[in-house]
Amino acid sequence: MIWNRVKYGFRAAFGMNPAGRRLTVFPDDVFIVSYPRSGNTWTRFLIGNLLNPNDPVTFANVESRVPEIYFFSDRRLRKLARPRIFKSHEYFDPRYQRTIYMVRDPRDVAVSLYHYSFKRRDIPDAYPIEEFVLRFVNGEFFEDFGTWEEHVLSWHATRKNSSGVLFLKYEDVLADPLQGLAKIASTLQAETTPQMLARAVELSSATQMRGLEKKHSAEWKLTKDTREDIAFVREAKSGGWRTKLSTIAVRTIEQAWGATMKELGYDLVTDADVDRELVKG
Amino acid sequence: MPPAHGSVRKLFGALAQTWRVLTGRQIAGRGLTVFPDDIFLVSYPRSGNTWTRFLLGNLIYQNDPITFSNIESRIPEIYFNRDRFLRRLPRPRILKSHECFQPHYPRVIYIVRDPRDVAVSFYHHNVKARNIPDDYPMASFVPRFIAGEFDVKFGSWRDNVLSWSVLRKDDPGFLMLRYEDMRHEPARVLVNVVDFLERCSFPKIDSSAEAVQRAIERSSPDRMRALEKQQAGQWILTKDTRSDKPFVRSAISGGWKSQLAPESVAAIESAWGGLMQSLGYELSSTGTAVSVESGLHRGLPA
Repeated sequence: MIWNRVKYGFRAAFGMNPAGRRLTVFPDDVFIVSYPRSGNTWTRFLIGNLLNPNDPVTFANVESRVPEIYFFSDRRLRKLARPRIFKSHEYFDPRYQRTIYMVRDPRDVAVSLYHYSFKRRDIPDAYPIEEFVLRFVNGEFFEDFGTWEEHVLSWHATRKNSSGVLFLKYEDVLADPLQGLAKIASTLQAETTPQMLARAVELSSATQMRGLEKKHSAEWKLTKDTREDIAFVREAKSGGWRTKLSTIAVRTIEQAWGATMKELGYDLVTDADVDRELVKG
Repeated sequence: MPPAHGSVRKLFGALAQTWRVLTGRQIAGRGLTVFPDDIFLVSYPRSGNTWTRFLLGNLIYQNDPITFSNIESRIPEIYFNRDRFLRRLPRPRILKSHECFQPHYPRVIYIVRDPRDVAVSFYHHNVKARNIPDDYPMASFVPRFIAGEFDVKFGSWRDNVLSWSVLRKDDPGFLMLRYEDMRHEPARVLVNVVDFLERCSFPKIDSSAEAVQRAIERSSPDRMRALEKQQAGQWILTKDTRSDKPFVRSAISGGWKSQLAPESVAAIESAWGGLMQSLGYELSSTGTAVSVESGLHRGLPA
């Protein structure tokens, strides 16, 4: 307790604490924002490979290309060349002017996070997915970021029609990565050619990223202390929940967030909506 | 300023911050320790938050009226007080905050005020805080207010109001108040707040008609102005600001009608008209294009 305080105090004094929500924000900063496990890392690869096609992004250099705000001190990040491009998992922060927000079907987020939680040793082996999903719906795994719905709504309600803010669905980018990246490029005000887009998509493919993860996972901050037998880059698919989640788990998610899911174009498969209307009378 | 001076100041700043963190004296703000029984009094700046603190404080502590000297130990704000000090207050705590939506605030009383009146009040507040000069034109202030350029971390009025109302509208731990309703019928609103507090397992509050009336009188603009005159030098919110400008200003609603030029009114209404209407604020410039703020089409509190 006291040692933690001494450490925190020392680091605070010398500007060494990770920036996180205390980051100094410049008006020209670009933020790639999403709830965890929603395609943020892929987007970082796409952007890095678009802007720097001759020196492809790897897990060893991604933190210097599109750094995340949770690993580095504000002091260090202030020294980066501008405009800076960051990865962030923050719920609505009014200071972010230019934002690329990536949303993903929460049922797939649940499956992905379930595997990731094993990898991070947050849950024991054979932990039942129903129990996991209940805790996921309560936002227990990322208390600093709120629940999936709070996260998505906080940005969507305030910024959906704002210039400089791009909302992307992971599923759409997956279905047509070239078009997704073209939209990202225009938000970044980056001049591109179809060849550059195609090359960036190719360099950021799931196969490519899996290969790179094997090489560098021990060096990358996000993976280095996690279980090696479980991959960070997993299926990179959409709709996996249909086989991976039980009906109870699907119902739990749809009952909690059905209205927002429908608003975002995610079709519900349980009668959560009927239940909800009945309760409201 | 010579560079050496700057680095010396920086070093002292760093040392002071180390000392504050080591001894738990850092200002709470966003690093505030939140307890599950906390109740937050949230609003955009200049929307009646201090008045509400007085009203509530005077109702809860009936034997010891609220002043600018004791308010920070009764219903404190999170930006000027230390986390350690706040952690030691009796619970459940009621805390003042200006943050946009915060997922970890368990219970929230949110105060909203007509943004046209907020603009007028905020203008004077920024003069008092020396952010803008005395003769700064209101017509230049309003566009900057709409863009959320003052107190950037709290967002614009729209960001602040919309983020809370969309995310918490159906939540039993959320109560939305309109400043104008409080001015119009303070007793009725105060009784609603007491109900809400008791639902939040706040200890029983005497909300008899006499008690409510007394709390309202003790929180009147006249009394608050008199207290401000005596105590402004000690209160953290006012002590380093211009003493020739009051913190407690006109305390009325609709002042914008005489203080804002039609162009400024039109600018606010065209930026936020949809949201204003959904909150019951009538627009005057019906001819202007009104943006639709549906908040994911889920509607907003009536």
